[in-house]
Amino acid sequence: MRLFKQKTNLTNPNIFNVLRYCAKAITTFGLAFIFITSINADTRYNYSLDSSPQITNTHSDKATGPHIQVAMITDYQSVTSGQEINIGIRFTPDEMWHTYWRNPGDSGEAPTIELQSNKNLRYADIQWPIPSAIPVAHLMNYGFDGENILTVPVKLPSNLSTLDDVIITAKVSWLVCKEDCIPGWATLQLTLPIQEKSVISQHKKLFENTFTKLPQAQKLAGLYEVSETQIVIETSSLPQGKWHLYPFRSDIIDHASQQTLLVDEDKTRSIIPKSPYYNHKGEQLEWLISDGKTAYYLTTDFNQISANAANGQQSILQDTQKTQNKQSLFIYVLMAFAGGLILNLMPCVLPILSIKALALQNIQSGMSHKLAYLLGVLFCFNAFALTIVVMQQMGQQIGWGFHMQSPVVVALLAFLFTFIALVLLDALVVATRFASLGQNLVEGNTLTSHFATGALAVIVASPCTAPFMAAALGIAFISEPFVTFILFNALAIGFALPLSVLFWSRKALKFLPKPGAWMETFKHFLAFPMLLTVAWLVWVFAGQAGSYLQFLLMLCLIIFSMFAWALGRSGHIIIKLICVVGLMISFVAPITLSFNSSDLQSNAGNNASSEIGLTQSKAFSRQVLSDLRNDNQVVLVNMTADWCITCKVNEQVALTSNDVIDALAQEGVVYIVGDWTNKNTEILEYLSQYERAGVPLYVVYAGNQKGKVLPQILTPNMVINAINTAKEDLQK
Amino acid sequence: MKLKNTFSALLIGLLVGLSAATSAKITVDAPAPDFTLTNSKGETVSLSDYKGKHVVLEWTNHQCPYVVKHYASDNMQSLQRKYAEQDVVWLSIISSAQGKQGHVSADEANELTKSRSAQPAHVLFDESGEVGKMFAAKTTPHMYIIDPSGELKYAGGIDSIKSANQADIPKAINYVDVGLQSLLAGGEIENKLTPPYGCSIKYKS
Repeated sequence: MRLFKQKTNLTNPNIFNVLRYCAKAITTFGLAFIFITSINADTRYNYSLDSSPQITNTHSDKATGPHIQVAMITDYQSVTSGQEINIGIRFTPDEMWHTYWRNPGDSGEAPTIELQSNKNLRYADIQWPIPSAIPVAHLMNYGFDGENILTVPVKLPSNLSTLDDVIITAKVSWLVCKEDCIPGWATLQLTLPIQEKSVISQHKKLFENTFTKLPQAQKLAGLYEVSETQIVIETSSLPQGKWHLYPFRSDIIDHASQQTLLVDEDKTRSIIPKSPYYNHKGEQLEWLISDGKTAYYLTTDFNQISANAANGQQSILQDTQKTQNKQSLFIYVLMAFAGGLILNLMPCVLPILSIKALALQNIQSGMSHKLAYLLGVLFCFNAFALTIVVMQQMGQQIGWGFHMQSPVVVALLAFLFTFIALVLLDALVVATRFASLGQNLVEGNTLTSHFATGALAVIVASPCTAPFMAAALGIAFISEPFVTFILFNALAIGFALPLSVLFWSRKALKFLPKPGAWMETFKHFLAFPMLLTVAWLVWVFAGQAGSYLQFLLMLCLIIFSMFAWALGRSGHIIIKLICVVGLMISFVAPITLSFNSSDLQSNAGNNASSEIGLTQSKAFSRQVLSDLRNDNQVVLVNMTADWCITCKVNEQVALTSNDVIDALAQEGVVYIVGDWTNKNTEILEYLSQYERAGVPLYVVYAGNQKGKVLPQILTPNMVINAINTAKEDLQK
Repeated sequence: MKLKNTFSALLIGLLVGLSAATSAKITVDAPAPDFTLTNSKGETVSLSDYKGKHVVLEWTNHQCPYVVKHYASDNMQSLQRKYAEQDVVWLSIISSAQGKQGHVSADEANELTKSRSAQPAHVLFDESGEVGKMFAAKTTPHMYIIDPSGELKYAGGIDSIKSANQADIPKAINYVDVGLQSLLAGGEIENKLTPPYGCSIKYKS
């Protein structure tokens, strides 16, 4: 705005003279204006393009208005049948005065040309020369300083008689302005004799010169996106230069605003503040993009891919929501049930259940015995469901196996599985309490034993996800609490069914192989799937707590096994004591150490991803985000997609600037990138939390405090300030 | 490449800064900014004086051909008369700076009102252009409608045909007329924002 102010100040000495002159001109014009208007009001209505108008030869090919001369010219003074000629309307305003382009900008009016003829001519559109941006106070106009010619290509019919003339009439209106504006109208006329051979006119050179000032014939295509305050346009790459965009419509951009241009190897992008009058309907927008010398017409379509993606994703979300209605809920209940059944075959569960099944043989039991296992399973699954619902109500997003994200739980499970393997191998001395605990869990025939087997089975099953179960659980995790419970219970019943059948039915028991010596061997064999599970758990643990703690865990598992084996092999009280203490230490050590391992974990994660790009970033997931927020980190979330122009502009301008990279590299600051290029329901849910149907979305969190949404068009300072503010907020 | 990015970043910063500086963004369905100006009788008039009534703001410049179009045809005055009867407050505002086109003295303003049979509630002077910029007024005419609660309900052109030709008036949709009709009938305005057309307002700077 300052800029324009200076310009007007420069011309101020002249303005008063001009104004005085204008005031005079306008008072005299006032009368002329009404006169011209009334004439035009008549002629405008009497002519129609279809009727062949009465044309007399009284019209001239020139007109003079205040501050302007207007002339009608052609490039041929005589014409032949079927020829193409050019009609030109030449505007010659006084010095410092200007006329307008097809879109005049903030004020003003484009000239109009209405051509008619006694012959059946075909008129093309007006060819507008490349306009310039003309600032007027704090407003912007698009037009032509000084002389300019608007040309209209015309095609003559092929059946013209050489004795005749072609008479072309042009009804022209214009507005000529300096700061004040004066409208004018004129009807101009040319008579062109029809001859065997056409003859060029004196203006031919002028036309050729005019054509060099037209935009290029090559048309560009592009895309546009609309943000809260800006419109972003993208087209194929243009050579470096001061490209300026001129919209065809006056109500799209804020004409006087600076346009920000970004040219890279394959794309040219421009960011322009949008007009308050722009009512975005997703329609095609047309522009002229010009560097002052060269210009191209550019047609931009609304970036449908982002709109479609948003709609597609919306429909995905709606689908997910629809599945919560009764019919689909039934299907998911079935899937959960089937998933539960299949879970029985998982390597972590199968051994325990097999032993249990074999131990059941030929034992009479009451109703409570029959139900105890099922109850144990139901109890455990409902405890899971309850935990999930409670955590969800607290605003945490968790998935199946969420407890597996804690290294402590993983270590505990590793000990449990090792212990079960030892029991199966009969490595423990039967007489000890410790051993009987294990025996009881898997082989016992008491009420509590059945219940405990059920609970244990669920715990050991929890790291495993059976097919079918995943989908049903996915639904359970994003549903209403009651749906979560229904699905978990279906899962529990499916899971408990095979063994419960054995509890209930004598007949079913008969299908089991007869007991014998082979059972011992089979039991020993089953220890190996258990040990495989231990190997897997230790690997998971390594990813969470690092290789040092993993080594410690393995060491302790072995020491634990050794003392468990040794316990009871000697009756001596001191050896017993040593064994018990050894067991305790080996068990407690890795667990306590892994309590503190969360820090190690996030560091390890950072290091891994830092190799990927210039800016250290983590891939988005709800879990990663909530973990980092719980850990009191400052988190910048960037939701982006390859097809999103605005995102690319921001990444080009703001997010890869050195200052921002430095700010993101600070300790306690984490940068998360969500890539929405492909459909991703998790990201969509995140976006809809912020009532967005698409990218970009930038949110900065200070730990668990409410996230701050950044504008859709970023500057480096916005990002840096947001990060610094978040850091300060954390310290409060 | 880095340098270029830094440059673009600076540009964007400048751009955001600029748009903040001229943040006179008009927002329909939001409270219109209040103002106090002197009228052609030397009295002070505030927009807030008219809470509870519909108010029309008309930016004008009697020498602008586009204003002439609507006054020489009696189009503007007939709207003023029609809605004065319906208790709508019509404020004609002149933001032309001293020495620029359309700037008039109080006497000249009263004379213009009389000679053109205009019937605004007040003709207000905004020589500094502050109020014009507050409303992001660009052209003469540029029209605004404010509802009894003080919310801006319409901003934009007087009608749908951008020309200085009186012959176009009967063919055009008069947005102010249509808008006031639906507001007074208790409805919503269909086109709340239309691009204004006319002469640029002859601001001081």
